[in-house]
Amino acid sequence: MKSLKEEFLEILSNYQGILHKVNLIYFRNKPDREDNFQEIIYQLWKSFPKLQNKNSIGSWIYKVSINTSISRLKKDSRIEYREKLPESIDNFDLIEELSFNETSRRLLQAIYNLNEIDKSIMLLNLEEKSYDEIAEILGISKSNVGVRINRAKEALKQNLSHER
Amino acid sequence: MKDNELKNTWINIDAEINRKTTDELDQYLTAKCRKTMNKFIFLISIDIVTAIGLIAFLISTSFNRQGDLIYQTNNLILGLITLSALVISFFSLKKLQGNRFNLPLKELLEQRIKLLAGWLLGKYSKLYIVLIPVLVAMIMLSIHVYYEYKPFLEVMKDGESFMVWLQVSPLDCSFHSLLSAKSENIN
Repeated sequence: MKSLKEEFLEILSNYQGILHKVNLIYFRNKPDREDNFQEIIYQLWKSFPKLQNKNSIGSWIYKVSINTSISRLKKDSRIEYREKLPESIDNFDLIEELSFNETSRRLLQAIYNLNEIDKSIMLLNLEEKSYDEIAEILGISKSNVGVRINRAKEALKQNLSHER
Repeated sequence: MKDNELKNTWINIDAEINRKTTDELDQYLTAKCRKTMNKFIFLISIDIVTAIGLIAFLISTSFNRQGDLIYQTNNLILGLITLSALVISFFSLKKLQGNRFNLPLKELLEQRIKLLAGWLLGKYSKLYIVLIPVLVAMIMLSIHVYYEYKPFLEVMKDGESFMVWLQVSPLDCSFHSLLSAKSENIN
């Protein structure tokens, strides 16, 4: 029989893509992403014994990853927390160490320019999560999810047009 | 970019991400747990050493001043506050098991706002401004009176000695600013 830690590591190994993607949209440099990755794993481990519904592991991982990242952004004074778009979006050193193609870089930079809440909404939308799941992860109503997705998409498209 | 182009690009990004092995994930978890525990143990150790040192000082000086009731009362109050602070710091160990990140985002943000509002605008938000200088003044008073080798009341009545205590106590600043404000008004 598997120990609790083995079970946790197996789940983490299968779902680690979520952690990487959340990290990617919230943190622009590698050391911050590494630190946050470790912090998310720790927070997941702490809440794992109390995880009741093993059918919604994905939602649980999104919830902890997004909450940990946003909390870290607010806590860490080295990183700027933005509610609105910055005036200039030309100065990006984002993900230069990753080997993404030009289109992927453009998309990531455009997402990075969204505010912290829209980033998570856009991420969940791109991951093709249902309105129900998004509502559960973010704690907002289903109707609000639709409105916020449209708003986030508009902002994203605007950012993409700036990127050209 | 259209919606389907966005999604295809996102799928490409997903495919490009380097996954960690289970061993690497295990190492990350172990390192983080150890780091958090060490940080906590360090802070608790400082708390314990300081509290034990202060309580030892308060008890030993109280024994040497058995006839001085005011001095002993001052030390007793300080001792009780130090003891409560020590108990609270042990209770904070429970924080290590806290799971506030396991909530929907809106709830988490609401909790943070509530907590911040409590700190900034709550009933006891300004308490520490009064409490910390008073406690430090009491500790300084305890040390000062003890090394003056006189009873508490005598030290307080001795103007020179009282001024020495004021110089070393944090109330000094506010007292002096009050005096200077008054003298400015007089002038």
